[in-house]
Amino acid sequence: MILLPTKKSHPLSPLSRQLRLDIFEMINTAGEGHIGGSFSSIDILISLYNSGIFNFDKDHFILSAGHLCPALYAVLAYVGKIPREELLTYSQFASRLQGHSNLDTPGVEYASGALGQGLSFAAGLALGDKSRHTVCLTTDGEHNEGQIWEAITFANKYHLGNLINIVDYNGYQIGGSTEQIMPLGDLASKYLHFGWTVTTVDGHNLYELEKAIRKAKTSSVIYPVCIIAKTVLGKGVSFMENNPDYHDIKKLPDNKYLQAKNELQKY
Amino acid sequence: MNFKNIENKSIRQAFADSLFELAVKNPQLYVVDIGLRPSLYLDKFALRFKSRFIQAGVAESNAAAVAAGLASSGKTVFLTSFACFSPALNWAVIKQSICYNHQNVKIIGSHAGLMSADLGATHQMLEDVALMRSLPNMEVFAPLDALEMAKMLPVIAHSQTPSYLRLPRPATPLVYKKALSFTIGKSQLIKSGKDITVLGYGPILTQLFSEDFDKYSLDIINCSSIKPLDSEIILKSIKKTKRCLVIEDHQKIGGIGEAISSLILSNGLKCKFVHLAVDNNFGQSAQNYFDLYHHYGLSPLAILQSLKSLLSKK
Repeated sequence: MILLPTKKSHPLSPLSRQLRLDIFEMINTAGEGHIGGSFSSIDILISLYNSGIFNFDKDHFILSAGHLCPALYAVLAYVGKIPREELLTYSQFASRLQGHSNLDTPGVEYASGALGQGLSFAAGLALGDKSRHTVCLTTDGEHNEGQIWEAITFANKYHLGNLINIVDYNGYQIGGSTEQIMPLGDLASKYLHFGWTVTTVDGHNLYELEKAIRKAKTSSVIYPVCIIAKTVLGKGVSFMENNPDYHDIKKLPDNKYLQAKNELQKY
Repeated sequence: MNFKNIENKSIRQAFADSLFELAVKNPQLYVVDIGLRPSLYLDKFALRFKSRFIQAGVAESNAAAVAAGLASSGKTVFLTSFACFSPALNWAVIKQSICYNHQNVKIIGSHAGLMSADLGATHQMLEDVALMRSLPNMEVFAPLDALEMAKMLPVIAHSQTPSYLRLPRPATPLVYKKALSFTIGKSQLIKSGKDITVLGYGPILTQLFSEDFDKYSLDIINCSSIKPLDSEIILKSIKKTKRCLVIEDHQKIGGIGEAISSLILSNGLKCKFVHLAVDNNFGQSAQNYFDLYHHYGLSPLAILQSLKSLLSKK
């Protein structure tokens, strides 16, 4: 086993801090937004979009869990698809940056919000466009949805080796832990039994994420790939971490705002 | 009922035949089937176009979003099932993945209405028009007979808008002697008169072609383009007759009758109005749909009574 360097040394680590701050300001300005999952998924999106793995002209990205759009918007602003100052219009009237992702936002390929549909859409896209890779981002809580399992069986049947599903596995969903609300059990083993290739990574370690996505894009020809990214809800702000109250937030009181900003600046 | 030598022909079969012909010409035409291949007469398609026939199994939600994903890769996609399953079970997927995402998917809901007589209430889809006409970007169609089906399908396939096509199960009377052209948003005046405007869609309207109705002077308009609706021809006829009968094999709530009454009121027309439809009720089994049409007030007898009441002075 080759030991990867520590995660803090990754060249994209400063971006992980900067985009967390962008997400934080975006949601705080709007007064509400899904902050917990945006913080748990941001490193996945950075790995995908900023490490040179994802080819904007060739690959497809489908955000199945539309409420994670603040993280996607932050990344799209960084890569120049949308002006950075536009981030502060998030979820406001007439903004292109809707409260759940939609097609008005440059760089967004799928409008979502109702959970469980994106993986099926990604499977259809992967089937219709076999020359490219389709990467989908789902969450562990989203696996409550029966449609996810329909999509898993479908992708296996049609040997969608060009389909990659990254699961932001932060262990929480609105109202509690996923284990309390609907136990997932051994998700990796379930994917394996459904005919997928599975790999589990630390979803905040940019080296591990990058390696897993790169491998998924190059190695598999027949089997769809699931990357289970073990993440922390609200990662980066101590009082938000693993606290389902921060699945989404209303405007933070001043002291909390300052504490969070302070912690994120040091992230 | 005395039909004037009208033969029966399956709209479903006409759909399958037309789809096959279109697929020969268009290599980008795909079918995503929801486990009902034989019931939609798609065996021939599946055999000939193996790679373009996607069998998604009886999983309606996944199939609808798979169809949307396929469409986003540039294919023309037909999503085939019974109306009681698709769009009934997967409506929210159709809303988000197809309509909101502007994906060009053609949803085929077969076995719609009380016409699926023996199958009973669970299979007699009476809410599909309500579900589908309420969706932004969605167009809704129902052919009158097999000949109109054949004319309609190439137009629907060519359109870049998502659409819903409602098909009946049994073979039904062939009304058109030769198929007229079909245009989205246009209705056909299939019989012209002066006293009463009769509106509807699908083969239930063919009941009006029995000799029992010969003594009435009727404008019969085939609203096979349910959405968009041809308001021009409808308003023109009602301005003339000042009497309107709508008949549909569907719930009254959310049906085309509501669309037409709204059209009449918002244009300030005054007319007598009768809407024959299933009234807040479930269907049930019967050996043929005529018995059900009689029970639910959609039979030729019910139509005759409505015509008489519309013509009365009261």
